[in-house]
Amino acid sequence: MLPTTLDEAVAALSAVPAAVPVAGGTDLMAGVNAGHLRPAALVGLGRISEIRGWQYLDGEALLGAGLTHARMGRPDFSALIPALAAGARAAGPPQIRNAGTLGGNVVSAHPTGDTLPVLAALEATLVVAGPEGARREIPVSHLLANVDMLRPSEVVGHVRVPLLHAPQTFLKATGRTGPGRAMASVAVVLDPVRRGVRCAVGAVAPMPLRPLEAERWIASLIDWDGQRGLAPEALAAFGDYVAMACIPDPAPAEEGGEAPALPPAAFHLRRTVATLARRGLGRALA
Amino acid sequence: MTSTADGPGAVTATPAQGTPLSPDSADGGPVTHGIGASLPSTDAPAKAEGTFPYAGDLWAEGLLWAAVLRAPHPHARIVSIDTGPAAALTGVHAVVTHEDVPGDAGHGRKVADQPAFARDVVRYYGEPVAAVAADHPDTARLAAAAIAVEYEPLDAVTDPEKSFEAEPLHPDGNLIRHIPLRFGDQDITGDVVVDGLYRIGRQDPAPIGAEAGLAVPRPDGGVEIYTASTDPHTDRDLAAACFGLAPEQVKVVVTGVPGAMGDREDTGLQVPLGLLAMKTGSPVKIAATREESFLGHAHRHPTLLRYRHHADSEGRLVKVEAQILLDAGAYADTTADALAAAVSFAAGPYVVPHATIDGWAVRTNNPPSGHVRGEGAMQVCAAYEGQMDKLAAQLRMDPADLRMRNVMATGDLLPTGQTVTCPAPVAELLSAVREAPLPALPKDSPERDWLLPGGPEGAGEPGAVRRGVGYALGMVHMLGAEGTDEVSTATVKVNGPVATVMCAAVETGQGFTTLARQIVQETLGIDEVYVAPVDTDQPTAGAGAHSRHTWVSGGAVERAAKMVRTQLLQPLAAKFGMSTELLTIADGKITSYDGVLSTTVVEALEDKELWATAQCRPHPTEALDETGQGDAFVGLAFAAVRSVVDVDVELGSIRVVEMAIAQDVGRVLNPRQLNARIEAGITQGVGAALTEHLRINRGIVRQPDFTGYALPTALDAPDIRIVQLIEEQDVVAPFGAKAASAVPVVTSPAAVAAAVRAATGMPVNRLPIRPQTAVGG
Repeated sequence: MLPTTLDEAVAALSAVPAAVPVAGGTDLMAGVNAGHLRPAALVGLGRISEIRGWQYLDGEALLGAGLTHARMGRPDFSALIPALAAGARAAGPPQIRNAGTLGGNVVSAHPTGDTLPVLAALEATLVVAGPEGARREIPVSHLLANVDMLRPSEVVGHVRVPLLHAPQTFLKATGRTGPGRAMASVAVVLDPVRRGVRCAVGAVAPMPLRPLEAERWIASLIDWDGQRGLAPEALAAFGDYVAMACIPDPAPAEEGGEAPALPPAAFHLRRTVATLARRGLGRALA
Repeated sequence: MTSTADGPGAVTATPAQGTPLSPDSADGGPVTHGIGASLPSTDAPAKAEGTFPYAGDLWAEGLLWAAVLRAPHPHARIVSIDTGPAAALTGVHAVVTHEDVPGDAGHGRKVADQPAFARDVVRYYGEPVAAVAADHPDTARLAAAAIAVEYEPLDAVTDPEKSFEAEPLHPDGNLIRHIPLRFGDQDITGDVVVDGLYRIGRQDPAPIGAEAGLAVPRPDGGVEIYTASTDPHTDRDLAAACFGLAPEQVKVVVTGVPGAMGDREDTGLQVPLGLLAMKTGSPVKIAATREESFLGHAHRHPTLLRYRHHADSEGRLVKVEAQILLDAGAYADTTADALAAAVSFAAGPYVVPHATIDGWAVRTNNPPSGHVRGEGAMQVCAAYEGQMDKLAAQLRMDPADLRMRNVMATGDLLPTGQTVTCPAPVAELLSAVREAPLPALPKDSPERDWLLPGGPEGAGEPGAVRRGVGYALGMVHMLGAEGTDEVSTATVKVNGPVATVMCAAVETGQGFTTLARQIVQETLGIDEVYVAPVDTDQPTAGAGAHSRHTWVSGGAVERAAKMVRTQLLQPLAAKFGMSTELLTIADGKITSYDGVLSTTVVEALEDKELWATAQCRPHPTEALDETGQGDAFVGLAFAAVRSVVDVDVELGSIRVVEMAIAQDVGRVLNPRQLNARIEAGITQGVGAALTEHLRINRGIVRQPDFTGYALPTALDAPDIRIVQLIEEQDVVAPFGAKAASAVPVVTSPAAVAAAVRAATGMPVNRLPIRPQTAVGG
């Protein structure tokens, strides 16, 4: 089934409830090839032109769910939403970036999905198409936290992202120089209008984590009207704050006494998150 | 796989001094045939265009598809197997289990201790339990999953140190081999003593094409197996024993080999395939998934090494003490050979007057270990080079100076008591890599984008990057060790302007067919040489490993070609009253030394067909005795590697900037292929140093795919600088050529570890190097 509009896609899914929508197929088809998934039918989203581009709407960008990572990585998009472009460029080898889509990355909700921490930091919202032309909005974080799930026959049509006109960064640590899954990733977004810093940490938990206290604290230190730079010590403290929030110390033992030590691998992960957050904020403020 | 100053993709292969990449012939033009030419492989275009037939492309009319049921536990007792639900499915033609194995049910190279199907016990995660033939691959997989097996899980022994004390995992016991090597004075001590504990991970050969095969039943009750075997005769004998057939009733036909770093095919697939073909009377095909490939074939032995080096105050080695523990997995396979190499080369290419080395190989319930390029030698290289760096730090010496003070040369003794009789230009190799110019620092080449550790979109920060330089020396043995009978037989046929070579040496990508063509071109002056496909109707040529085919099979081809040459020239020589040595063949023409005679090969043949068959059998070796002494090796090859790495010391991410190698190659037979082999070996070594480790959790393999098992990509492969290829011909080897593929794999991981030590100041004692150990500086 190859619908050409979102509503046709929704209708197709309503008609065959067992059907699974597929866009780039980089996650879904790998599961099919490995024999883990046997979808009864597929609804291809590749011919729906309305979800392949983006448009501006009230100071926000309405991104089509069918945007590929390769498209988001290009300079024009990078000027618009730099962190999302950086996340898209870091997401796997060219073959994957050419096929994999923004909507697919969100719906797959893989912990290491590279656009997810960026969307969480941007507080993006999904625009979901439902039966009979219905449209409803779900914050990305609600979907990733299973607070609000997609209902049967719904399709993610667009992603609403605020345009902040300020520096943003996305940094990722992997195990090799070539493309690889994130061990940890950090997105940092500045919001000069609301005088806020928003940060999300990916790949260390099943969904991106937002260190809200660390965000508020560091935003209060920044001189928003002058030079926005911060002292290296402040950046390092922010990094540690973020890392401690995301990878806390183990709880102390029941009957008092010393808390068990953090395992070396978790300690390294915390150190990695701290470094990424420090570097990410430093580059955003530079 | 290499990138250079000119950008990714180009190759920095600096020709050895005095050895241009394409040596020129006497008249000034490049050599285009014969020994020393960069002859391209004849199947290269087909491989590049995707038309080359590999084992996975096999097809036969009316074939059935096989699937193997693999054990979901690393160690369990099989209570019952009910094949009924599988056999009842539509489209299923046959189901086989251990009950259907007629022959003596053991297989395994060297030691036949491995059942074709698990009988009462499964001993590793993924061990074959049953197999199904069906008319569709999906049906076969579903049917295999439908077989009801009741297991009683047992405690898995996954720590090789606990294997000594554990309940026997196998009737043969848990200790596969112990070599207690004692050399020199056991009580002597040095002025300076350094200790170290090293761990080497489980590298997977990760061939680009997964295992596949096709079995066709023969009317005489035998079976033909078409597969990408690298050792067809051994595979045939093992399969025949399992089928209860005579070896002559089983024929293994070698198909296109999609990459081989060791024993290519796991017999765990060939036996079920043959059984199913004979039971159904139909051709049966199997194509392993990537996951099955990771589970089924043999890996590099994970190794634990404890070392103590003694040296005098000037840095001369006095004694090496070592305890080496190899994790063999559940079955012996070629583990005993790997252990012999590990123990014999435990001190490396250094002069060590006294040594106490104990090597053990034990059974565990971990994935199977076996022959992977440079096995044994690679693990100890990482450890003894780590010790050399520690000694240098202790003595406040330059690590390269310390190594230079101790290098081995021809005439020195190995700790096994064997005298090194072959060329051993270790000092020259080390000097060559030391003197090679270092790669430019980023600040000196501002026009280039600096590829930071972590990659172009990574988080690397120039201010946190430290550069380190490290050295390593490595050695491997050539051919089978400890009395293995090495023999290869080749036939050369000349008919008109075409020569044909028949030899059971498998072309695995190592370039044997190209070499065979070059040898015949050189000897007979015939340019058009055809190398016949391999099957087990030909006499054996041995496994494709340890440089065997260049030496033994190449030697056999040369002898056969020389015999044909004599047959061709004898009548002419008799006619003109001169000996055959006074006649030369070149470009299809035969000329005499004085120019009186000039004719063509085709005319001299007079429509005859000339055949000759010859064998090559190198001098015999002996097994190591009860104190690890003996002349166990036919020949040795050496290399020196200098590694330059950039480390982001806050994230622990590592990028290998450049690997410079000087290698003892004996003689360059094909410069292009030689460089390709060295580059491939270094890249595999960099993988072992940084990322390649098949992870397990209580015996269960985690993520057996290319996401979980990270191979080096084009961005991870470093610039490779071949500084020098030392051509000191080994007089006992045909052509004087030495092993080229294994020694870069053996030496590179140790060099990378040394460079990371230099960059971070941290002790690096585990391969692959984990990011958390590279944070420092």
